[in-house]
Amino acid sequence: MPWFILTSKSDRFSEELLIKPLYSDHLYVHFQFATKWDTNPDQESFRHTHIFPRALGEIIERYNVQELHVSLAGGLWRYETWGYPILDAAPGAEVWAWFKADTEDVDKNWKELASSLSGLLCASLNFINVDNSVNPEYTFKPRGVVSDQKINSTYVRYASLPREIVCTENLTPWKKLLPCESKSGLASLLNSGYIHNVRYHSIAIHMRPVCRDDACEFTSLELQQSVSLVYDYLIMGTKNWSFRKLFGQGLMGPCPLSENSVIFVDTTSNVSVPFQLIPSPDDYITSVRGGHVSTFAKYNVKPYAMSINANYLGKESVLLNSPPSLHANQYITGYGQERGGIVTKIYNNHWGALEVVVLQNIPWYVPIYLHTLKIDVNGVRVEPVGIHYIPGRQRQRPYHLEILLKLPPRSVASVSIDFDYVFLKWQEYPPDANHGFYIGSAVISANLPLARNFTGLPQDGATIADSFNASRRGYLVQVRTENMVITLPTPDFSMPYNVICLACTVVALAFGPLHNITTKRLVLTVKDNEKLIVKIKNRIVKAWTERNSGSDVNQSVQ
Amino acid sequence: MVTQIIGPCWSVKRLGIPDSQIILMIADDMACNPRNPRPATVFNNANQHINVYGDDVEVDYRGYEVTVENFVRLLTGRLPPGTPRSKQLLTDEGSNVLIYLTGHGGDGFLKFQDSEEITSQEMADALEQMWQKQRYHEIFFMIDTCQAASMYERFYSPNILAVGSSLVGEDSLSHHVDPAIGVYIIDRYTYYALEFLENVDPHTKKTMGEFLNVCPKRVCISTVGVRTNLFRRNPHQVPITDFFGSVRPVELISNVTVQPLVTNKTQKKAPALPKKYRYVPPLVDFKYLV
Repeated sequence: MPWFILTSKSDRFSEELLIKPLYSDHLYVHFQFATKWDTNPDQESFRHTHIFPRALGEIIERYNVQELHVSLAGGLWRYETWGYPILDAAPGAEVWAWFKADTEDVDKNWKELASSLSGLLCASLNFINVDNSVNPEYTFKPRGVVSDQKINSTYVRYASLPREIVCTENLTPWKKLLPCESKSGLASLLNSGYIHNVRYHSIAIHMRPVCRDDACEFTSLELQQSVSLVYDYLIMGTKNWSFRKLFGQGLMGPCPLSENSVIFVDTTSNVSVPFQLIPSPDDYITSVRGGHVSTFAKYNVKPYAMSINANYLGKESVLLNSPPSLHANQYITGYGQERGGIVTKIYNNHWGALEVVVLQNIPWYVPIYLHTLKIDVNGVRVEPVGIHYIPGRQRQRPYHLEILLKLPPRSVASVSIDFDYVFLKWQEYPPDANHGFYIGSAVISANLPLARNFTGLPQDGATIADSFNASRRGYLVQVRTENMVITLPTPDFSMPYNVICLACTVVALAFGPLHNITTKRLVLTVKDNEKLIVKIKNRIVKAWTERNSGSDVNQSVQ
Repeated sequence: MVTQIIGPCWSVKRLGIPDSQIILMIADDMACNPRNPRPATVFNNANQHINVYGDDVEVDYRGYEVTVENFVRLLTGRLPPGTPRSKQLLTDEGSNVLIYLTGHGGDGFLKFQDSEEITSQEMADALEQMWQKQRYHEIFFMIDTCQAASMYERFYSPNILAVGSSLVGEDSLSHHVDPAIGVYIIDRYTYYALEFLENVDPHTKKTMGEFLNVCPKRVCISTVGVRTNLFRRNPHQVPITDFFGSVRPVELISNVTVQPLVTNKTQKKAPALPKKYRYVPPLVDFKYLV
């Protein structure tokens, strides 16, 4: 319907690609697709959409969703060496959503939202339930605009599925949400055979209401779709990258529905590790953000075949990678299958104090004890600024722990808490129970004062171009730590079978002798039917002994 | 054996059945398992001609979702509220359903995951429930397991054509191994069935009767079992596209004027009043904490 396309200018779509060489012999590739639709999210029925995906629109309308954030990631983002990503994602699946204030039953909507999303993205998000979701008090504030004065955190839900495997079947439906799908534009570069052969890959959907204009009296609906990939030069075999090496093909022009289609290459590291871009870029952009200067080469995607190659010039200077201001680890302590502990280590490399919020969503089968919570900063025990703790309940809700911490300059804080290993019911063990049970990653949030190693988008922006020169008061990072696997005491599921086998064997072995003993009598009998040769032998022996000893005692040998 | 299950799915997709009408259940994560030397790919045979786990595969039930309960619920339509359409079998009394099952089986059961199994009686009862609920017109039931014939022996509902890769007491043998992954990737029966389907196009005149004879004993080694007594038609007169393809004869009509029944009135909504919207600081400021 061309007339519609002509008349409707209420929605805009932009596609961007950022390629950034990381310090650690890795290449970060980020696709950012942003749709902004000037419609009132509270009144929109999603009966007809133009660029905005209707399948997603129907879901958010049905479940009264105000904001939706979904990410599916394979691998772990290495903050310490890679810096900060544009959008954080926990390993596995992660969903958080804000519901509108007139939602009657948030838990029910949340459950059904997750199961609808599982159909939309072919992921097992339907395992999200009340018993593994929390409503974070401090960590997940609305990213979009709100009109209410007070933010009521009973309308937010957060859950993660650390076990989730991300594969091509997730990418396929994700691409179908894009206006050009993967037919043309930057999304045509996303070939599953190439993009899953990387160190880290994540796909994400972020939907939120935003300001329509500067006055911010009306709202628009914004949808960000992103793919993040981290290529390893070792897997690629060379440091020189090209579209063919990264994606298996070149680019055949922009998505015709997009307003702008651009490619940025971060050339900040060109000073120390020089590389040459072929063809030469259309433009260079210098971005000064939070005291950190970075340069980007900009390419506009033109309606003909194009490819970008980077050739390293070979004269490398020694590179000192300064770790980012804040990063974190998480691990399990203890041994045996009785008691254990979870330790979260938070590193503040900044010269100033940092305020951080640690969110932990611990499954109900890992009962933690709040009195064992211990926070050490550089080995000295400290008290947290605040704690928000909702104890879990078996099979009903997880343990929700949020800790507000003030980290002194250049310090390492370790937050440790003890837990018990519990027995589950027989039916609650998964088919591969001996694989272990996952504990999702902790989320450590902070507002960094400096934008060093920071590539995230500002809160009022949706595109990579919005992040240039976007100096703000603080730069939000939400560090995700590693997932953990624990082995709960797992019964031997073949035990009944073994017991039956063993019991039957024992019975069979015992029955024969017992039957013999109880039914048969042992009687001593004298055997007469001796063989001829034995008789002859006995005679000889008898005769011989009689002659030698002259004894008259009768002997019989039997 | 992911190829085993993806292969038929890929074939029917090629013959015109859209993804939305295919429900794929895979318990394995073989394609993206870290041990797969070629991530996100599964090839139809060791010569790696066709990547069947390509860019357009949509797995509807995966991992722990693949349970006997979910399978029976899917067939009978007794799903929890909020189940997305892609996880429902939205069929009616006019639908032809193709059910393809593969895995480890035995006399009267098929294993799911490593922990449970569906018995032939449960399978037969689920199909009867489908019949009573008018959820199918005809079913083609294909199963490639050891002792496959035992799975359809108990069926008692009408209009079911069943084929199994082996008779009771026989093993179903695999075709070849992929040395890179170190597993047998496809079974003999499925291999020859797919080979047959490769040469089928949407306008084919081939019949189900021909399909039932794709794997004679000398190539399959096991005897392919067929059950036709529940099926009312002669398989030799049933086009193969009745089950394996979506062929809809399209007739173009040009001289028809359509009168809109409903006048296209846009519903007048009350215009949104300007409100003061704001962004919330993403993190709590410790100074304002009580």
